[in-house]
Amino acid sequence: MIIESFKHNMAAHCESGTLTALLNHKGLTISEPMIFGMGSGLYFGYLRHTPNLNFPMFILRTKPGKLRKKVAKRIGIKFKSETYRSTEKAEKELDALIAKGIPVAVQVDLYYMEYIPEWERVHANIHFITIVGREDDYYIVSDSYFPKLAKLHKDNLQKARFAKGYLAPKGFMYYIDSIPETFDQKKIIIKAIKETVNNMIGIQPPFIGIRGMRMFGKKVVEWPKITRDIDHLSHEIMKINIFLEDQGTGGAGFRYMYATFLRQAAQLFNSSDLDGLSKKMMEIGDGWRKISYFAAKIGKNRDLGSDKLLELSQLILERADTEELFYKEMKVIVNQLN
Amino acid sequence: MKEKEAYIDYEPHQLMLYVEKDDGTFGPIITGSYLSKNYIDDFFEKMEKLRLSLLQQLKDNKISPVEYYRVIHDFNIFELSRRTEISLFKVRRHLLVKGFLKAKVSDLIKYAEVFDVPVSNLFQVITVESRDSETKDGVKDENKYKVKQTKTQSPLLVITKFESNK
Repeated sequence: MIIESFKHNMAAHCESGTLTALLNHKGLTISEPMIFGMGSGLYFGYLRHTPNLNFPMFILRTKPGKLRKKVAKRIGIKFKSETYRSTEKAEKELDALIAKGIPVAVQVDLYYMEYIPEWERVHANIHFITIVGREDDYYIVSDSYFPKLAKLHKDNLQKARFAKGYLAPKGFMYYIDSIPETFDQKKIIIKAIKETVNNMIGIQPPFIGIRGMRMFGKKVVEWPKITRDIDHLSHEIMKINIFLEDQGTGGAGFRYMYATFLRQAAQLFNSSDLDGLSKKMMEIGDGWRKISYFAAKIGKNRDLGSDKLLELSQLILERADTEELFYKEMKVIVNQLN
Repeated sequence: MKEKEAYIDYEPHQLMLYVEKDDGTFGPIITGSYLSKNYIDDFFEKMEKLRLSLLQQLKDNKISPVEYYRVIHDFNIFELSRRTEISLFKVRRHLLVKGFLKAKVSDLIKYAEVFDVPVSNLFQVITVESRDSETKDGVKDENKYKVKQTKTQSPLLVITKFESNK
């Protein structure tokens, strides 16, 4: 069976996309950028010493799961969620919900999503998909990163839901129980923007926010020391493009999506200041896109001498300076909103 | 980013991008991946070089099959230990040829599970003629063959079938 009323759409990001799809299905019309902004999803972190990582990486959004929890708390959405030890029980309960016509979001290891091209499939336990049906041994999956509904074999879904390792899903699934009839969207937006400002320029560890961006800019020139060979360095440099563009960010490391959120917020508040911020955020995104294109180009050409890495470093440090000014301005503007 | 600058024609890897549309509004478009469209060959080439280099080390008995697959899957030892639920101490040993020889079959089953290969593939490389020593470009007839490995109820046994691609 398949839940016919569920409308599949691609989304920029799996977590916000899945949540948006479930909310829309439940009758709340809201956009993905609004969910992302109201959940204070925008973030930056440069991770060097995390035990599960093979190589330093940067993150552009809050920890998986946090966005959903924030949005739920702020709007007042009630979720039913569950983790499992038994794979059989997890499958049985999932099947029962689908039979009742309830679309269910599950956390999975992206590697086992057989419908996605092989080169995109990496081991990452932080992917979210929505299960909207079952036909014999295959589940019908709505994946934000795939243009249409896809089929996934039950064995692969089981492996994906019970993969072990960092942020292991443990069979995690959730669905929406209830949505409040009304909520104060303006109040939530103000609170969410304030939190984003705090995440980026507030008191944070040195690898988080603007300080994290600067750390990234400074450390990227040292990457040749920690790579096996030129191909490995090229691979890691080109991953900058993947993290910014391809790994579900909506482009430029979520900056374009955040700009869209600010534009929608500007319309709600009828605020020209917020509108101005949305334009500035779009331009900031263009700067990040320039970095991602530059990284892809030098990586492909193996043009990875110290001069090029220094140029890359400068581009990142420039972004940090621009973003710092932006968040300072946003802090002033958000305090004037009501 | 302006909509017209953002659009990339690449059907195999689609994604959603937020852009400034022609009418000045901000909204989503579905487009192709810039990286996949322009640089996917480079990715495949790098992966193939890495695979061949690891295979050579494997043939020279310098690394163990666990190390071979660990690098291919880009796991560090902490993650591999967590995914397999084999102690870090043991994983470290199994990466070396000497240590691998002392690995228990039950451990090998766990590794094979995580690497998503039949356990028999920890002891063999199934390939076509000339594939081991030449680059991908050097194998003209590779597409003629298809190898299908089917798991059985026994975690140790896999059926390997060679089929010709017509």
